[in-house]
Parts: sequence; structure tokens; C-alpha cells
Amino acid sequence: MIIPLMKGLALTFKRFINPFTCVTESYPDIRPRLAKRFRGLPELQVEDDGREKCVACGLCAKVCPSQCISIEGAEDEHFRRYPKMYELDSFRCIFCGFCEEACPERAILLGDSFELATDKNSGILDKEKLLESARRKKS
Amino acid sequence: MKMIHLTIDDKSIIAPEGTNIFQAALDNNIYIPGLCYHPKLSQFGGCRLCYVEVTERKHTRHRFACAHPVSEGMVVKVNTTEVNRHRKTVMEYLLAHHELACPTCNKSGECGLQNIAHELNMSPGRFKTVRMSAPVIRDNPVLELNRNRCILCGRCVSACKEIEGVGAIDFQNRGFKTVIGTAFDRPLDCSFCGGCLAVCPTGAWQDRTLGFSGRPWEFESIPTICPYCSVGCTIVLNTKEGSVRRVVSNDKLGINEGNLCVKGRFGHEFIHSPERIKTPLIKKDGEFQPARWEDAIEMVSDKLKQIMEKHGGNVIGGIGSEKCTNEENYLFQKFCRTVLGTNCIDNISNMKAPFLNGLLYKSVERGFFTDSLKGIENANTLFFFGVDITEAIPVVGCMARKAIQLNSANVVIANPRNIIFKNTAKNDVRLTYSLGSQHILLNAIIKVIIEDKLVDLKKIESSTSNFSSLCSSVQNVSLSNAEQLSGVSLEMIRSAAKLLTKPGNCCIVYGKDVIEDPLGEDTIKTLLDLCALIDVSNHSDIHPGRASIFCSRYHNNSQGVNDMGVVPEFLPGYVDINDAANKEKIEKLWGIKFSGNIVSKNSFNLIDLAKNGNVKSLYVMGADPLTEYPNGNEIRECIKNIEFIVVQDSFMTETAKLADVVFPSSTFAEKEGTYTNTGFTTQRLNRAISPVGNAKTDWEIICDIAKKMGQSFSYREIKEITEEIKKAAPVYSGFSYDRLRRKEFHWPSLLLDKIGSNKYTFFAIRDKSLKVKGEKEFPLVLITGASMNHQGAYSAKSKALVSVAPECFVEINDKDAKDMQIKNGDMVMVESRQGKLKMRSKVTRKSPSGIVFVPDAYVNIPINMLIYQEYTPVKIYTVLDN
Ligand code: SF4
Ligand code: SF4
Ligand code: SF4
Ligand code: SF4
Ligand code: SF4
Ligand code: FES
Repeated sequence: MIIPLMKGLALTFKRFINPFTCVTESYPDIRPRLAKRFRGLPELQVEDDGREKCVACGLCAKVCPSQCISIEGAEDEHFRRYPKMYELDSFRCIFCGFCEEACPERAILLGDSFELATDKNSGILDKEKLLESARRKKS
Repeated sequence: MKMIHLTIDDKSIIAPEGTNIFQAALDNNIYIPGLCYHPKLSQFGGCRLCYVEVTERKHTRHRFACAHPVSEGMVVKVNTTEVNRHRKTVMEYLLAHHELACPTCNKSGECGLQNIAHELNMSPGRFKTVRMSAPVIRDNPVLELNRNRCILCGRCVSACKEIEGVGAIDFQNRGFKTVIGTAFDRPLDCSFCGGCLAVCPTGAWQDRTLGFSGRPWEFESIPTICPYCSVGCTIVLNTKEGSVRRVVSNDKLGINEGNLCVKGRFGHEFIHSPERIKTPLIKKDGEFQPARWEDAIEMVSDKLKQIMEKHGGNVIGGIGSEKCTNEENYLFQKFCRTVLGTNCIDNISNMKAPFLNGLLYKSVERGFFTDSLKGIENANTLFFFGVDITEAIPVVGCMARKAIQLNSANVVIANPRNIIFKNTAKNDVRLTYSLGSQHILLNAIIKVIIEDKLVDLKKIESSTSNFSSLCSSVQNVSLSNAEQLSGVSLEMIRSAAKLLTKPGNCCIVYGKDVIEDPLGEDTIKTLLDLCALIDVSNHSDIHPGRASIFCSRYHNNSQGVNDMGVVPEFLPGYVDINDAANKEKIEKLWGIKFSGNIVSKNSFNLIDLAKNGNVKSLYVMGADPLTEYPNGNEIRECIKNIEFIVVQDSFMTETAKLADVVFPSSTFAEKEGTYTNTGFTTQRLNRAISPVGNAKTDWEIICDIAKKMGQSFSYREIKEITEEIKKAAPVYSGFSYDRLRRKEFHWPSLLLDKIGSNKYTFFAIRDKSLKVKGEKEFPLVLITGASMNHQGAYSAKSKALVSVAPECFVEINDKDAKDMQIKNGDMVMVESRQGKLKMRSKVTRKSPSGIVFVPDAYVNIPINMLIYQEYTPVKIYTVLDN
């Protein structure tokens, strides 16, 4: 019984001497460094010309286990398929990443935002909102 | 038929001789991959996917399942290593230049190619991929052809040729360059039935009314009945988020085998049209104001009560609907007869031809109308008399073509116009008779039949009661006179008579051109005589052939509205209203006493009464008499005399515009109930979406008003009404709403055992003919008829149909047009003594010289404004376009 106790104390002592190996995050003062494969809020991606990449194929909506995606496809002036409406209920999303995996166009990727608490009583994000971060990155 | 025993994948099955392995497997729920074989179409054998291992007569070989007939003791293996290797290779070839645009392809999820690729677990192939990049063809408003997705299975080509009879598309070029296309790459100009779309296993054909507004797996599929013509095709509504996105067909449901026409398949946009009436409207100072339901109902009930107190109930007229369900029409006549206490009710089809109900009932009683429309598929001879099959009842045309293909049926078409009915019949006799000569033509046919002994005269004499009077009535028919009057050569009459009396089943279909002729009643009676003649002689132990007769009605429920007794002379189910016993039975059922004046010896004609100012109020449910009643001026005059008009409709029709109160009613997609088609088959509607806006179903509106007026119309669901119909209408006694889910109901079949015992009595009407001629000032004769692309307000509010056929037109014979210096597509004025209308000209050979034809199906051109008699003389002249 005494041996594990000693082991623990040894670790404490080691960190005490060299605090740079410490894992404590001082969030929210400092934004944590996220892992590369962190799964935050899904984001829609944009083409080079600024249009959404999404073609409203509906696979993400189909695969989503919490059924938080709804899409209305439509035809644009060049007869291309695009999502007239794309809504994602951020309250329901469980960040499983299935949509990202299902998407044949790599049009939806799970991003790095995780601060989703809000005082509103609906977490439904529309297409523009979901495209915002990708557009910001582009410009 | 000889049955063959064979084994497929260790399952023993039995199949009729001559079936191919593919079909036998399909019938027994054994899956063989294959993309070009389709049970409805002739075998093609182009996709090479249905490769199977076949062991017969001790030899094991590989065969294509769709091209190899079953044989006794055959053993078939669908999944061997060898077979799968072959299949995978074929798929590799197919996918090597396939577009593979599944994410954006509307077919994804229901695509044959995708499914097989998935099943076989295909990975990138060994062959160099050359994706095709042919431009997508979007030259018409409803169909899009993306040839990069085509696998050249040939299904669309066969469907177009064999089912629709059009042949608009075919293979072009050879080898690698082969594509599907129209002749000379002209824009697709066909009947837009969408048959190609329905059979295509890939996403090459696309439904443009869908846009990209949904994916197959998101849709809920609700089978229901088409709201347009009287064939009663089953359509499947695909809905998403409470709105109808597209219509598809299902080969296994209904009477139409998945065949539809352009209206059924693409004419669904009216359901969500912004022009739908969404709230009750009350007219105040000539303007409609939206109102609450309670207020509108109260106002109507107060007003009706006032009128009833002042003048008695029988000054209120009711017009039932050829488009509403049987249940609604039943309630409507019950409402009028009990709550309002009036028998002044009618429907437009009965106003047009009051004799038809009686004659139809007679033909059922005689056993000539006991087959459902599907019976046409078993015909050996088809006789279309005065009906434009292609325009009026298009899917019956598909059934007829099936008969032609399977039984090599012969076709006889008699019509005043050269109607188009494309088919491959060996004998296709066209009798283009001049107007007014239909009766003498028919008598001439009968005379030839009797004189040339084309039927077994002895047998007829013994099994009918007055054959001699038929003989004497046709004796005086002079064939040369008939030839002269009808303009049909004697030779043609003879060959028609010969074809009609060929052994086998003979199906006679008559329609508008006969019914609405001044001699319509006599002609139909003589048709029955002809039918009897053929039936008696064809029906023997050797030839079990029968003759049957069908009447082509106009709207989806034109038959039902009459069955339900929305006519002055009959209670539901053709029960004579003047018969005390019947009356008592209904009184007991409804728990009321009819007011004394409800039963009258002479049947009322609502319009005549209204003309004399005897109708103070009019209640119209789902009808538009202003554009549908034959004489437009007359009905407009009548309506003027009426103080208070209530209309239930989904759209602001001409009649609704004159109403004092308009109730928004829901369309077929929003309600349950039943329709009875022109072949007496009753089929069930299923509700696909909730009512649009504040609309209510017609039966709910009637119940609400009845309740407000102090009667208990406490129906909660459709089934309660059907139960009551069952009790009230004897012909519907075998009716079960629940059973309709599985099988349609056909009331003449129930009468089968009651008929056939007594001998047929010929009407034996002496030949009559009319002189139909233009006048000096108005030299042309106007006739009207159905249009394949339009039918009333529904089609006019469906974008796709409007873009397929944007404008009403007048068909002018090319010679006449030349004389009048009118070119095809000119804007012309059609003027009769009563009015004039502007429309496009269409120079054709379809209408013979002296006759012009205008479809009566475009609501924006109310052709009845010109009409004051059956054949109205008109003149035509060019006017400026705009
Ligand atoms: S899977 Fe991708 S392309 Fe398809 S709808 Fe979702 S985001 Fe759009
Ligand atoms: S036709 Fe089928 S396989 Fe081809 S792109 Fe469309 S869904 Fe995919
Ligand atoms: S819509 Fe009908 S008529 Fe037109 S090409 Fe297709 S199958 Fe032929
Ligand atoms: S368009 Fe469709 S139905 Fe026609 S050949 Fe191509 S794949 Fe077959
Ligand atoms: S309009 Fe008539 S033929 Fe066309 S789909 Fe409807 S019921 Fe069938
Ligand atoms: S299904 Fe047999 S070859 Fe296509």
C-alpha cells in the first residue's frame, strides 16, 4: 500500500521541479491546444469561388445518429445541385463525425469550435452560419 | 398452359412454358442481377448481367437468364464463382465510362446500377476510365436526359415504342458512340408520359418537376389515385416534410401497371400552388374578404335557412362534383335532400347527357359492361367509337397496345376526326365519318354483319327475343346512302364489320363524340345492339369470346358522382326516386322524412329552372359549371338570377368568382375516400399530406354546415360514410373500405350472377342522320374534346403541364387554313354567333375539312362561350398577336 503512494508522490515531485510537462490547461484564460483530430462543431466547406462544396446529397443527414441535419436541395441557374437550406441543430449534434465520413464531397468537416453554450433556446445553425468559419479561413 | 418444373438456386419452382429464366426467378422472389430486362417490355438482352449457370439435358452451360426459356428439369445457379467473375467484369466495363455522379444524381438510392455495384462490392476497375461528357439535354420542361449515365439497356426505347406507341427516342450511332436520342437530335416532342423515366434503371432520365428537392430515401410513398381523367390510374406520391415532391408509378399497384400519362406523372404541382384558396372567403361589396371558418359557416347556414323559410327548400340548387370522392358526393346529395329539402341537384356530366346513366346501367345489366377496364388487355378486337383514346384516356391506349402486342388484336377506330392512335396492329381500320352520320354508319355495319352472315344468325335468333325487328330496322338502310352520308367507303365498312365479328373478345369503347351528339342516345342504343350481336355469336363453347362495351367519361369520378345519386332522378345506386318503397328505405336509413315535393315525376333540369328564376340559391361543390356546362352563355345568364351562391373549391374558378361565399377545399392528396373510374372500378385514395392552409375536405365542410343547420351529420371518418353508402346504394352493397387497401372494388362483377338469364331485346332503331353544316357567315363547324395535357383548374395550376402545353389552340384542316390564309401558329379569332375567343391556330390533317377542333380542357379559354348547340358554326380569322 505504501508503494503506490510513494509512486504518486514521486510524480508530484517531478512536476513540481519541471512544471513545463504539466497537463493542466488554464482554460478559459488560455485556449487549449486541440488535438489534430479533435471533433468540434461541424463546418461546411467552400469551393475556391466561394460557393459551398455541399451538393445536398443528403448522406450526412441520413447517417447522422442524432438526426440533427436537415437539407433542402435545389437546382441553381447552372442546373447544379446545391443546398437551398442546410440546417444543423448544434444542441443535438453529438460530434460523432459520421457526417464527415459519409460526405462524398468533403464538404462537411468537424471543426475546432466547442464553446457552444448559449442563452438562446435553439441551437439550429443555418447554412450561412455553418459556412462562416470556412469563409473566414479562405479570405 | 403447360407448366415447367425447374430449380433455381436449390429452390424448386414451377413456371409456365415459354417464360424466360429471369421472369421465372422474379416471380419466385429469386434475385438475378440484370438491368435491361423489364417484365413489361420485350426482351432485349443488352446488359449481359444476368449470366447464370444452366444445367439442362445433362449439359452445364452459361446462359443469359433473360434470353433463355425455362425447360423441364433445368437446374439454374445464380451465384457461382464463374458467374460472379463474369458479372464483375461486365460491371467493370459499364462503370469504366459511367459518370459516377451519385452524390448529385437524383437516382442515387434507387439506381439499378448503383445497387449492383454495391452488391458485387465493386472496387476501381482494371480498365482505363474514360468518363463521357456529353451535354445534358434539357430541351423540354419535364424530362432531362443525361446520356453520360446511360448504360444503353434499351428499356426507354422499348417503353416509348411498345407502351406509349410514340417511338420518340432510339439508339443513335454505333459502337462506342452509341447514345440514346431523338431523330436528328430534334427537341423531344412526345406525349411526355414519362414511361422512359419510369423504366430507366439509371439516372439518365430525370424528372424535372422534382428538381433536386429530395432523395429517394427521404420520401414517404403514398399510393393514391390520379385526380385527372376517368381511367383512375394509381400514382404514388412521394412526400417530404409535408409536401408532395414528385409522382412515381408502381407496376404492381392498381389497374395501370405503372403506366401513366403526362398529367398523372407531372401534373402534381397544383397541390402546393400559391393560387390555392387557403381560407374561407366572404364577398363584401363585390370583394372577397378572408373570413374565419365559424363565421363563414354561420353566414351560409343563416342565409340558406332564410331562403328556405321564404321560398321553401326546393329553390336551392346543388351541383355535385365529378372530381370529389364518392363519399363527398354521397354526403352532398344527402345534405341537399335532407337538410335543404331539395331534389334540384345534378352534376355536369348528367347535365350534358341525361340519358347516359340509364343506358350504362342497362349495359351492366345486360352483361356487356361487367369487365373492368383491364379487360381491354384481353381484347382481340378493339372498337373505339367517337373517342379520342390518346387524348381523353391515354392509359387505356397503353392497355390497348398491350392487347395488340399480346393477342395481335385488331383495331377499328370510328371518329369524325383522324385521331392519332399509334399502334402496331395488323389491321387498323379507320372510319372517319362526317358529323351527324354516326348512327347510320353503325346501322350500315350491322346491316353488313347480318347480310354477309358474319355472325351466327341462327344462334342470335334463338337467344335474343326480337332479332327480326333488328333485321327489319336495318333492312331499309341503303348502304350506298350510308356511304354517301358518312363519307366512309363501303369497303371500309365491310372490313370493319369483318374485324368486329372475328372470334374472340371484342371491346367497344365509346366517348364524347358519340355521347354529346344529338343522336347520342340512339347511337349508344344501337351500339348495344351491335354488342349483343357480337357477344351472342362469339360466346360459345368453342370460342369463349365476349363483347364488352365501355364508356369513356370525362373526370376522375364522373362515374362515382352518378353512382352516388347526385342526379335528380336517382337515389344512390340508381334507385328510382319516384318509387315509394325505395324512398321509404332511404328515409329509414337516414332517419328523416322527405318533404312532399322532393319526389317528382318529371326530373328537374337545374339550369332550366334557374333560367326561369326558380333557383334562388346555388350550392356548388368542386365543380365549375361556368366553364364546363356546354352552353356558356346560358349558364352565365342563369347564374345572374341567383341570389346566393356558395362554392367549395381549391382554386378561384370562374364559378367561384361569382360566389358569395367560397370554402377552401382540399385536393386529392389531402384526403381519403374513393373514386369510381369509367370502368366502374372503385379505388381508394390515401391521404398523403395535411390540408394546405386552412382548407378542409369537402365532406367536413358539408358536415359542419349540416350541423350548424341543426342536423346531425356526425361522421368522424370516411369509413362511417362508406358504411352508409353500402346500405344505401344496392350496387355498392359488397363494398368494404378496408378491403380496398388490397384490391379495388368493381360493382358490376357483383351483379354477374343476376344477369344473363333473360334474352336480349334489341332496340332496333331505324337509321337516323343529321345534316351538320356551317352557315354562310360561319362556315366551319366547331367540335370540342379532351386534351392529354390539360384538364381543368388542376392542370392549369401545374407549372410543368403549362410549360408542356402553354396555349389553347384551334385545329384547322390544312386545306381550309390555306383557303383562309392562316398559317400554323398564327393567332386567330374563333367567332360564333354567341361570342369570340382568341387562340393559336394549329394546322393539321387531324380535323377534316370544314371542321375545327378546340380542346375544352384549358380553363383560360372557356370554349363553351362560343357554343349554343351541339355543333356550333364558327368562323376564323387572323388577328394580331398579343
Ligand atoms: S454529405 Fe456532404 S455533400 Fe452530402 S449533403 Fe452532407 S455535406 Fe452536403
Ligand atoms: S445513374 Fe446510378 S450509378 Fe450512375 S450516377 Fe446516378 S446513381 Fe450513381
Ligand atoms: S415521355 Fe413517353 S413518349 Fe416521351 S420519350 Fe419518354 S416514353 Fe416516349
Ligand atoms: S436512358 Fe436509361 S433506359 Fe434508356 S437506354 Fe439508357 S439506361 Fe437504358
Ligand atoms: S390522367 Fe388519366 S390516364 Fe393520365 S395518369 Fe391520370 S388517370 Fe391515368
Ligand atoms: S437482363 Fe439479361 S441481358 Fe440484361
